[in-house]
Amino acid sequence: MSQSYAKPPTAAEQAQAERPASQFDAGELRRMIDSTQDLVHGQPVIVAMRWILVATGLLLLIWNAESVAMVRMQFVVILLLAFANFYLQAQLLMKRQVRAVIVYVASLIDITLVTVLVATGGGFDSGLYVFYFPAIAVFSVAFPTALTGIYVAATMAIYGLIGLLTPDASGLEILTRLLMIAAVAFVGNQYLRIEQERRQAAETAQEELLEEIRRRQQATSRPVA
Amino acid sequence: MQAIRSAAQEAAEDIFFGQSVVIWARWFVIATATILMLWSSSAMNQIVLAITLIVPLIAVNFFVHGRYLMEQPINRLLLIGLSLIDVAVITLIVAFWQEPTGLFSPFYVLYFPVVLAFAFIFPARTSLPYTVLATLAFAAVALLDDLSILGSSLNMERLVTRMITLAATGALGAYYWRVQRARRREAAAAEPVAG
Repeated sequence: MSQSYAKPPTAAEQAQAERPASQFDAGELRRMIDSTQDLVHGQPVIVAMRWILVATGLLLLIWNAESVAMVRMQFVVILLLAFANFYLQAQLLMKRQVRAVIVYVASLIDITLVTVLVATGGGFDSGLYVFYFPAIAVFSVAFPTALTGIYVAATMAIYGLIGLLTPDASGLEILTRLLMIAAVAFVGNQYLRIEQERRQAAETAQEELLEEIRRRQQATSRPVA
Repeated sequence: MQAIRSAAQEAAEDIFFGQSVVIWARWFVIATATILMLWSSSAMNQIVLAITLIVPLIAVNFFVHGRYLMEQPINRLLLIGLSLIDVAVITLIVAFWQEPTGLFSPFYVLYFPVVLAFAFIFPARTSLPYTVLATLAFAAVALLDDLSILGSSLNMERLVTRMITLAATGALGAYYWRVQRARRREAAAAEPVAG
């Protein structure tokens, strides 16, 4: 939840308030750019999270090896995930922008993968649900609030259903896990919004600084050094 | 008019603005612990103990939240101290609050929002030791609670998975904190479009 402060408006805020209504579309545009930039800057964290997922998956695969056929199949899935992540990592290294829809779909696959592992590994009794936490944490700092909300609500609903369908599952414990998934998403999203406000304040301060320089320059009719 | 921020001012702002993240994480933990402890208590002494543990946490968070709303947030040291108390309380609950305790305690998940929120407001040199501390505290409690875990591959796997995901959450939070700091500095240094 973003915090509002009872501070007097800055010169820039005053100017914004006095702008004609037609210019408020710029605010919308600004929000869209911010959202895209949030995704761009959140991508390295998502990619890092996925490498952790791949590395831990490999560790568990070796640890838990039950049958050759099972190991073979799981290894192929992990390998595909690793290759997909390598593609995204390569785009980041080459400073190429990945289309937002690819990032969203890749993240959806991450969550789906964890959910399938949980569902097939004992449902409520599966300990793999803990992978939801780092995954949700990185989505919540990179995705727009509405999309984070949809992802988290869907994850909670499906995991809650898996838990309830597991015989002898503790309803209270399911609720605890779901509340903590929501908590991680809330904390991440709140931080994202705080940072958006701070960045905007930093930009406004910079603009005010340059405006002041311009004013003094005009007053003294001397060029800025 | 504001000047370009120094590193010290930036760190102070991290704590000033980011504090609400820690406060809200603590509210979530308090709410969840309250539900779980009150509804899982079956004896009078248990419910009294639950209330005795929860009420001081609520009082502390009311104080901290109140200060934040008055734009007088608590300082860095107090924030670190309270965050350490958060980990200590969660660890005590994981260790002692009725069966199952240790590795199988349902309260283990309370570590996640606390560790993530802390990583968002402190530099990595502070947040990573905090993450390591929380991870090791959980591992220590799990092992002290039942040493036979060491002899069970399945339980060891569960312990390692839990440690990795908790450590990963803190580390990813610290990584994102660095990304955001770089963005802020970029924004502060950028030449605005002439107009």
